[in-house]
Amino acid sequence: MSERRKERITLKDLKPPRGNSRREFLKTAAGGVGGALIADRFLVRALYGRPAQAQTQPEKMVYSMIVVDFNKCTGCRTCETACSSFNNKVDVNGKELPGLGNPASANIRVYPYNPDVDVPVTCLMCEDAPCIEACPVEPDPQTKRRALFREGRLPVLHNDLDRCIGCGSCAEACRTKRVRAIIPNRETNKPERMCTLCGGDPQCVKHCPNEALSYIVEGTPGHHYGFSPDEVAKALTELWYKTE
Amino acid sequence: MAETIYGYHGVVLEVDLTNKRTGRIPLTKEDARNFIGGRGLGMKLLADRLKRPGVDPLSPENPLLFMPGPFSGFPIPSASRTCIVTKSPRTSPLESKYSFASTVSYANMGGFFGPEVRFAGYDGIMVTGKAASPVYIWIDDDRVEIRDAGKYWGMRTDEFDRRFIEDLGDRRFRTCYIGPAGENLVTYACVINTAARAAGRGGTGCVMGSKNLKAVAVRGTGQPAVAEHEKFMSALEDIRKNFRAGFNGGSGYDDWRRYGTASALISASDSGFQAVKNFAEGTFADADKIGGIAAEQKIWVRDFACFCCPLSCKKAGAVRNGKYAGITHDGPEYETGTMMGANLMLSDLDAVMKAIYDVDDYGLDNITTGNVIGFLMEAYEKKLIDRAFLNGIDLKWGSAEAILEMVRKIALREGVGDLASKGVKALAAKIGGGSEKFAVHSKGHELAAWNPHRSLDLAITYTTASRGACHLNSSSAAGQNDYAAAESIGLCLFALDGFGKDGVRRLLSAITGFEWTEQDYLRAGERIYNLERALNCREGFTRADDALPARFFEEALTYGPHKGAVLKRDEFEKALSDYYKDRGWDLKTGNPAPEKLESLGLGFMNAL
Repeated sequence: MSERRKERITLKDLKPPRGNSRREFLKTAAGGVGGALIADRFLVRALYGRPAQAQTQPEKMVYSMIVVDFNKCTGCRTCETACSSFNNKVDVNGKELPGLGNPASANIRVYPYNPDVDVPVTCLMCEDAPCIEACPVEPDPQTKRRALFREGRLPVLHNDLDRCIGCGSCAEACRTKRVRAIIPNRETNKPERMCTLCGGDPQCVKHCPNEALSYIVEGTPGHHYGFSPDEVAKALTELWYKTE
Repeated sequence: MAETIYGYHGVVLEVDLTNKRTGRIPLTKEDARNFIGGRGLGMKLLADRLKRPGVDPLSPENPLLFMPGPFSGFPIPSASRTCIVTKSPRTSPLESKYSFASTVSYANMGGFFGPEVRFAGYDGIMVTGKAASPVYIWIDDDRVEIRDAGKYWGMRTDEFDRRFIEDLGDRRFRTCYIGPAGENLVTYACVINTAARAAGRGGTGCVMGSKNLKAVAVRGTGQPAVAEHEKFMSALEDIRKNFRAGFNGGSGYDDWRRYGTASALISASDSGFQAVKNFAEGTFADADKIGGIAAEQKIWVRDFACFCCPLSCKKAGAVRNGKYAGITHDGPEYETGTMMGANLMLSDLDAVMKAIYDVDDYGLDNITTGNVIGFLMEAYEKKLIDRAFLNGIDLKWGSAEAILEMVRKIALREGVGDLASKGVKALAAKIGGGSEKFAVHSKGHELAAWNPHRSLDLAITYTTASRGACHLNSSSAAGQNDYAAAESIGLCLFALDGFGKDGVRRLLSAITGFEWTEQDYLRAGERIYNLERALNCREGFTRADDALPARFFEEALTYGPHKGAVLKRDEFEKALSDYYKDRGWDLKTGNPAPEKLESLGLGFMNAL
């Protein structure tokens, strides 16, 4: 492996593309580390913390997520097909089998840019979940759930299709405040394409031929950068293609 | 509704630019079985449309086909290719009764376009006619629109790539397009995608330009059905698992990933196979200055891959400092580095990058452009042409400025660029003085970056290729059939090792529900190859056209470890005869025998 590919570049290494990011947390975080690299407690702990392992307390939510090493991603989109295949099973003669991996149904999506930069995007499992915040459906008195909710061990989003009114507020919140992980269904406008972490064994991580994706569990919850793909691409372009 | 053809949508989209109409051509089960897809199915559809020989390739009558294959749109490693098929604007026979006689043309590009065509619900796109003014084709699943491209006309490919996707409003669209060279009908204009990947050869961009078609954008959500789901998934799992080991136990795989084709810049030079100084030599003294190791240290930024390809053989790069600082582009790889570097005696890596960038940016074929400039450099050195002929350009070997200026003139067809835009065969005819001996082409199509001086196999590979000189071909009938089949499936030739002996057929059988034996598979390749040959013969091509310039027979290499190497005419003619015998082609004319065509299910070519 050559030198140029050794260094790991993830969201935590990215400078905000412009000095004045719209993300409030960045304003505070950037000052703390002299505006150079922004340390994120969650990611730093996660990246240098413990590797994925079996969970023992099934009902306690454990902060887990997919982390991208942009330096290793080649934009091949194998992750999309692996994700789609696992999360869209098909019935073949009464047998439930992985699907054919149509990227149109993938929960992780790779956005290409010119100059060559590829930005895989998937749900960041934000602790503050602006998508759930934005859901206008009155919480159920018993479960306290809105239409969009989280429960169980994995911090993944679930949508109650019966109660969801298809207003698109969650997708809009994700698009404007985070990474546009939620894509509304073309017909119903109900949220789709939220990362499931494949029940704790993410297939995108497993099938990535470049080890560009990692599954991090038991990270300490903290802020997320939530750069949009455009912002990530801009930062990477500056980082990779700068002239001397 | 037609019967289900597993592995296919059963539909080829037709876009008629003259009448601004779109239609759906039903695919027959027979054609799917016999011609597979990609190059093969494209050839069959081309033959269906070109009912007569001598059609002007730049007329509305010539169809332009964008062809994925039955693997496209499935997560099969390296099933990323799109074959563009049309009648060539590049080639011509020695003699013909038709003024527009030319070979078939096909050019293969990687990326994501072909799979997306299949996601959108089509087994191919056939563009016919000619738009009255510049247009682009917009495809979103079932919705197909012919849209105005006036504001993009004249735009180079790098800027267009950035602007177009912004305007489309979704980076999930996949696009391919031409640059100013295609618009200006430079015969070797290419079709580009992602600003760097090209269906480079055979003038596909010229045909696209003749239709006033700037670009095609496609986005889709579907996928064809496979016949045997479980078998497909298990074959796919096996192939993914064993893919790396297929490449020489893994070392070949690692090499592909690290250097891509650029590793050959030094190895081909060392073994005397490189195109150097307009093919006069096979070894480049400065190969290490432009080779993979130098590029890795100085230029490359990251690897990037085609759809589902673990090889990621393409290297994105940037020029960091100096005169050309700020260029961001992929490369150099073997072909581009050799044709813009070694063949022009240019050893300044930054300048090679700039040349590659400009050639792609204008939408020219790197290989032919390197040939044309190399030819002119040699003619200039030999004083067959003077500086006035070159509009004042001091076209000396290795001069970056002169090279860049020539590239610009060719793309814009300005001054000497107008004649140069027709290729080395036309240039030699005009310049005379024995220059045809070093006009490096076969059938009018220039040779790629591999020098045949010391290889009879390479000579046969080049001279018997259906689109004129082509290096992505084999010297044996069996090898050619294998490649023709692989290029019909949507698979990258570089990835074949990863599939083992029967991996491709296992997948193809599971997808289509036909049991593809090795014999069936090679037979399909043979059918495709013979169809191409029959189409060429109909135009007037004969054995005499399966030729190389005198350079390779008369001027031995003078430099390097293979100094003295030269082809022998009698050996070449014998090898060609042996090849024809193997093919069942007439030894004098090179025509496939009528019985041969009949036996391959190509009897319809006899009737024409």
